[in-house]
Amino acid sequence: MIGFTVLGGYLGAGKTTLLNQILRRNTESADPIRIALLVNDFGDINIDAQLIESQIDSQINLANGCVCCTLTDGFSAALDTLVDLNPQPEHIIVEASGVADVNNLSQYGNGQVLALANIVVVADAETVQEKASDKYVAKTIQRQLKAADLILLNKVDLLEPQIRERRLSWLSELTDGIPVVPCVRGDIPQAILFELERRDNPIDESVHGHEEYVSWSYGINKRISRESLEAFADSLGPGVLRCKGVFVDPFGYRLELQVVGKRKEVAAGAKTLESVSQLVAIGLKGKMLTEDLDAAVQRLFHDAP
Amino acid sequence: MSITIFQAQKIITMNPSNPEGTHVAVRDGLILGVGSLQEVAGWGDYELDMSFADQVIVPGFVEAHAHVMAGGMMLLPYMGYFERKLPDGSTAPGIQSYEALVDAMTLAESELEDPDQPLVAVGFDPIYFPDQARLTRHELDKVSKTRPIYLQHASGHLATVNTAMLAENNVTKGMNIEGLGRDEHGELDGELREPAAMSTCKTGHRIVQMVNHTEQAIRDLGALARNAGITTCTDLAGASILSPRALTMWQEVTGDESYPLRVAQYNIPAMPGSAAAFDEIADQFVQLQEKQTEKLRFPGVKFVLDGSIQGFSALIDEPGYFSGEDHGQLLTVPEQFADWLRPFHRASLNVHMHCNGNLTQQLAIDTVEKILREDPWLDHRHTITHAQLTTQAQLRKMSKLGLCANFFSNHIWYWGDQHYDITVGPERANSIEPCASALREGVSFSIHSDAGVTPLGSLHTMWCVVNRVTPSGRVLGEVEKISPYEALKAVTISAAYQMHLDDEIGSLEAGKKADFAVLEEDPLSVDPMHIRDIKVWGTVLAGDKHKAAVAT
Repeated sequence: MIGFTVLGGYLGAGKTTLLNQILRRNTESADPIRIALLVNDFGDINIDAQLIESQIDSQINLANGCVCCTLTDGFSAALDTLVDLNPQPEHIIVEASGVADVNNLSQYGNGQVLALANIVVVADAETVQEKASDKYVAKTIQRQLKAADLILLNKVDLLEPQIRERRLSWLSELTDGIPVVPCVRGDIPQAILFELERRDNPIDESVHGHEEYVSWSYGINKRISRESLEAFADSLGPGVLRCKGVFVDPFGYRLELQVVGKRKEVAAGAKTLESVSQLVAIGLKGKMLTEDLDAAVQRLFHDAP
Repeated sequence: MSITIFQAQKIITMNPSNPEGTHVAVRDGLILGVGSLQEVAGWGDYELDMSFADQVIVPGFVEAHAHVMAGGMMLLPYMGYFERKLPDGSTAPGIQSYEALVDAMTLAESELEDPDQPLVAVGFDPIYFPDQARLTRHELDKVSKTRPIYLQHASGHLATVNTAMLAENNVTKGMNIEGLGRDEHGELDGELREPAAMSTCKTGHRIVQMVNHTEQAIRDLGALARNAGITTCTDLAGASILSPRALTMWQEVTGDESYPLRVAQYNIPAMPGSAAAFDEIADQFVQLQEKQTEKLRFPGVKFVLDGSIQGFSALIDEPGYFSGEDHGQLLTVPEQFADWLRPFHRASLNVHMHCNGNLTQQLAIDTVEKILREDPWLDHRHTITHAQLTTQAQLRKMSKLGLCANFFSNHIWYWGDQHYDITVGPERANSIEPCASALREGVSFSIHSDAGVTPLGSLHTMWCVVNRVTPSGRVLGEVEKISPYEALKAVTISAAYQMHLDDEIGSLEAGKKADFAVLEEDPLSVDPMHIRDIKVWGTVLAGDKHKAAVAT
């Protein structure tokens, strides 16, 4: 399964800056992810010329296995092209246009090949509230924000603390509490968008250099029912930005929990002889309290076999 | 060069200095003159062609908003509610019950030879079956349990498929796509809503997409146009003409001497929502113009700026939709639209802007004003196409800015009742496609079918704006009716004007192309309610006769 993220947000919110951050960090990483970007226009994407292996029309191939495509033949065709690549990308990010209906686009991620479809919307902390009442785009902006699983409130350094708080509470009210990540220049831990834990990238490393974040992990040799797990996922507060867990149900089938902001999914997998449950999470310091998570998993596994 | 003089019962020229005649002299595809035989005979030896002695000749109709899809659809079995004219002159019946649908689909199924080929049909519209449960895979399973079936709806936004089609594409109820229709038990019911869900059934979806990119689609467009008296038709963003393969195909088909139509290609320079390198694309279009031929033109580009009124996806201003949920959506970032438009405007390329909602249209008008302040071009003739809900203030401004309108007048008939009762309410429904106001405010306008959304046919399009009646018998906005003469102008010279082709086509005038629509009756003197029923003999294109196909 390929990870799939729809990246939305109005003109000037910082989508391209975020994508450039992602590409740069991935390039520097010891364990790069094969990312495929589907963008409107190559023009604004900083692609290190040394990384470019080849370019054919609407597709740029990078040395670290990443590709960058433009939307020339429409969305569905572009996605098909990416899915058919060899080697297959591990994660596809679609940069939606400033006025796109991100929920509609994310629907393409719910088929058989693409997984963990999630919607990340970047908002310009300075202008988002004003744009959300603009005569042309008010409804579009509001629809985008409400459809997000996770909102990146970008450029918060430009706001006075008081105004920043007011903006956050306005956003929370508008979106009914969708988790918000305040950030500057789109700088967030990569793990929030991609796989939480990778071979050379343990969870506590992933928040390294990002003081505002906290990580948490847990493991136990017990099985758990799907119902209990779903109830646990629902109980996670908006401070938990990203969470992933692998479990085994009482009948010996794998369960996988994926949380991206408000999106919480439990998927069943193959039969296994193991019974280890493992869980990792990232959140905002002060908003995701590790003692709360500890207590929640204690309760979750209390009666488990 | 030989001269042919066509004699007619009456010739209506749409040339105000020489409005009528009985004879038209033609040499080398061009008109020498219109008048009496005596007036046109002096050009030299001629052959008198009496074939149209009982007919009325008007300028060949110019359809300024249609798509090659009108032809592409003909390649698939038709399951629409209203009957449909086919390229061979025959008529496909309207399908007005689920039983009739199953029968028609079963017949189409029996005609497929390859057992693995999916059955793909088009035109079904649930809006005409309000009292029945939604169509599901179970009805289509009656047609075949083994052959995959894909039935595209008329809106293009939905499809219904059978169980075999779901199975062939591994579409299961576990897929968490909103557009997958479900019954009360959560089982898939076979309805697919919007492209994400529709594209899950690729083996069917792909065929609907592909038919438009075939030579036969272009040929069928030509035949349908000829049958309707149309001699110049746009393909407004149907083909990607910048692709060498598409260009070659269009050149070859239209270059065939027997091809009866001039086609004006208006490409979408980029997919809606994308921010392509428009400067570069504008250059490519300028270069493309060097490849123009007599029957294949590239006057400009088209931008799609919003959705549709009946789909509630057109962006309309206060007080908004009369009922139903507002899904109004711009397909451009307002601040960026000037950047899209500017390179084409600077390259003197004519731009047609799809605006169904009046708020979208406001953006288009304001952006054109901004561009004109930067780069004056008095004769741009940029056009707001669809322009259905144009307000009086917008008409006044469009007139000053030199913007043209191309009204989607067939909506008055096909969706007029729905607009009155459901979408925009009585006041805005009555002023929809405001032709009389446009005339008063001095906005040059055309009227269109948007074929294949509604059938190609300029007489029907004229009939709509002259009578403004709906299927329920309501007259939508008596005061916005225009005369048959003004309606004829809108489907001839005014349509040519907004493509910068009015010096060549659109009226019958010395030096212009000898393109005629040959009609069995005079549209200016019949009962206005009879205009759409006037029989079309066929066309003359550059002096050559093309008889409409008649069903045998």
